[in-house]
Amino acid sequence: QQTTLDEWAKDPLVDPEIRAHVYSLISALGGIGEDGTYALGDDALLCLKDLRKWLKFADGQLNRRDVARCMAEANLVKGDLLEMLAKISERVMQDKLKHKVAVAILELLVPLTWPFEIDPVEATVNHHKHGPYIQLAQIGYKRAVLQYDRARILQTAVRIALPSMAVPLRERTPRDEGIIRIALYFIRNIVMLSPPSSVPMDIDEAEVSRSATIETFYEQDIFQVILSVASSIGEDFVTQDVLILETLFYLLKGIDAEKLFMEDRKLSSKNTNELKDLIQKEKAMLAGYARHAPTRHNRFGTMIWLKRDDEKFSTISGQDVLGKAQKSMQKMDTTKKWNKPKRTGRKKGEEEHESEEFNLPVALTSSARKHIKAFVEEFLDSSFNPLFLHLRKALERETERVETRHSRQYFYLVSWFLRAECARRRTIKERAADPKSNEVLTAEDESYGLVAEVMNQETFILLNRFLQKSQDEKAWQDLNAGMRCFTQILLTVQEMADSALEDDQEIAENIQNRIFYEESTHDRVVNVLRSYKDQGFGYLDAVTELSHVFLRMLERYSKQNVDLQVRSKKRARKIRKKQAEVQGEGNEEEGHASATEDIASAQRIVSERRFDFARFSAKFVNQSSVDTFVSFLKFYKELNVEQLKRAHRFFYRVAFKMEIGVLLFRVDILQLFNQMIKGPEGLDPKSPSFKEWEEFIRHFFRTVVKRMQERSELVVEMLFSKIPATIFYLEHGYEREVATKA
Amino acid sequence: TSAATTAALGLDNEVEVEKVKKRQPIPKLDDARLLSAAGIPKLRRISKERLRFKGKGHEYGDIARMLNMYQLWLDDLYPRAKFADGLAMIEKLGHTKHIQYMRKEWIAEGKPKHAMESD
Repeated sequence: QQTTLDEWAKDPLVDPEIRAHVYSLISALGGIGEDGTYALGDDALLCLKDLRKWLKFADGQLNRRDVARCMAEANLVKGDLLEMLAKISERVMQDKLKHKVAVAILELLVPLTWPFEIDPVEATVNHHKHGPYIQLAQIGYKRAVLQYDRARILQTAVRIALPSMAVPLRERTPRDEGIIRIALYFIRNIVMLSPPSSVPMDIDEAEVSRSATIETFYEQDIFQVILSVASSIGEDFVTQDVLILETLFYLLKGIDAEKLFMEDRKLSSKNTNELKDLIQKEKAMLAGYARHAPTRHNRFGTMIWLKRDDEKFSTISGQDVLGKAQKSMQKMDTTKKWNKPKRTGRKKGEEEHESEEFNLPVALTSSARKHIKAFVEEFLDSSFNPLFLHLRKALERETERVETRHSRQYFYLVSWFLRAECARRRTIKERAADPKSNEVLTAEDESYGLVAEVMNQETFILLNRFLQKSQDEKAWQDLNAGMRCFTQILLTVQEMADSALEDDQEIAENIQNRIFYEESTHDRVVNVLRSYKDQGFGYLDAVTELSHVFLRMLERYSKQNVDLQVRSKKRARKIRKKQAEVQGEGNEEEGHASATEDIASAQRIVSERRFDFARFSAKFVNQSSVDTFVSFLKFYKELNVEQLKRAHRFFYRVAFKMEIGVLLFRVDILQLFNQMIKGPEGLDPKSPSFKEWEEFIRHFFRTVVKRMQERSELVVEMLFSKIPATIFYLEHGYEREVATKA
Repeated sequence: TSAATTAALGLDNEVEVEKVKKRQPIPKLDDARLLSAAGIPKLRRISKERLRFKGKGHEYGDIARMLNMYQLWLDDLYPRAKFADGLAMIEKLGHTKHIQYMRKEWIAEGKPKHAMESD
């Protein structure tokens, strides 16, 4: 650490004058007094205000981060601010001066803990210089706030805002609103700060983990604050809705809602099973390696020839390939040095939103799990409907306080809470069904009223618009959140349809009617599935899940409602053109396809027609959707049982239900299938999914062999994606009968 | 003096220029290579000669043998690339107009017999 003025003057990082000013202010704040506790300086309040001015004007207006860095280096937060808060927290509500000091402290803490993001447009060289240091310092702040042992910092922050909160909404002054806002922002900042993945940390991650945050929130009754603000939103609070949304988002993202509601006993057995599975997986992997490992030392120096046609030989070294033809083929391939250059685009955009990432699972300690579970239950019971209704209206009106990230967070949380609610209902039902317990289902347990506000037409319209918009703008993370939300709505509707209450069944029926009535919804699901390209695994998981769930439910629904009508939008121009021509099946399909392609333009008319599931699934199953599922299946080693099943059903549908297995007749796909079963590094033969995959692939390979024998031209076509015009011939061996014109 | 100036300007130093040779171009896997004798024509030939299937009960063995045929063929055609990379490159070539045209021709070659039968 630099201490003297001379050293500061030489320091290239920060303007020495700034440093001198800031340091002198910080030392004037106060220090250890005669009684050994912290003593406030005479003009502490003025110093705090000055520091804030420095932060605001030197950093904010000149667009630098020098002051923030000085404050981090001077240990301002832990050494002074928190000490001061602790000192005055007892009498903060009674003593006016102390309250003022406390507000001033909070006003400094909020900008200091404000998550640091490097904005590519605004950032100057200063931001990059100080970025890593400040990020680490902020994690240090979080740790200090969470682990502070002499006072409850977060609770004190809330207490500072309590007098303002108690004022009725209409009588609140702007200053009151401001104090409430900074207190809530402080809480949000503390949840939001997470260890940056790019900078190594020297503090224990457990001290700033999600579990630690939850524990502290529980101990300091912050959950109660969130609940009371959220449940009285629209009455006592209005503009705070997005703040609560953000806090909830950062609090809950990545937590597995299903696991949360599992009974402890079940959860531990599930965790044991997971551990068993992992050990089993590792064993299988090691066994796989051992099978091919050399039996002698590594200088044994075996070399073999592989005799090939045209009197050519290939040489391969190593004893591990002796007598194993398949292994030697593989070794020939892996020893090649050149790799096809891969596109590495899109990486940059993702890094910016590291803190928004919600695909990564978060593990919790068991006590944190208990606390958050209690909070979620209470939240669902009291606050879910009012808060999400209020937020939906804010999003619809595009209110000033709403920012682009908020819709994404909104839809992610909707899906999260729906999942949690479904999981909770399941456990309640199980408990009631258990003869040993004396719990009985009440009518309230049965109804879906607690989540009704997100199961209405208005939400569906908002969701549809959001999906369309994010698809058009290529905002993949948004689309990901939207798809998860849609999937979860579908699953909830399905559980509702199976409910014992007749009312629920009726409501579910109505919702399904509305969802499946719009053909644009069907087209959107198909389009999203078809247009996957390098958006990452989380997105891939969401898109395959959505299409799987959607297709299955639509199939079921259209079977029950044989005369299902759909509303399709067609362009009037096309129709006029069509009418001018002779009417024919092929023509209509063509017009329809291009209508979905550019929805934005042209006048459209709306018409109703009978829904034909066969035609829909034909649209659903095509080369690009096969490619999407193939890229999903390439992760087979990491997929869980449910995900493997999803892929299995899709390929089964392609090959045997729809009978266009020719779409899968491609060497790379066959190679993948073969590798999954026969290795190297294949599926674990003892895993539950192995058997159904083994059977499917065997069955499929048989048709491949048969087809190859029938049609030798497939040898070449095997290399390529098929040309649409030749698919029918390759599949059936004769041309499609052209529909005779009526 | 003119000789001195040329020497000073280094105009005679042709030898140096020669040193900057162009890099050997990296062989490409393009449609010309794919359509050459070692490409698709060879694949069609060897598949007829060599691809024998055992049929029912030997599905995995059959497909593995087929995959090996492709791998060795690709290794001869373009030794540089690994199997999966090579396949991806060829698949991409399949989208070009020329190759698409050729593919349709190859399929059509198998057809006439059938068309006559059905007539």
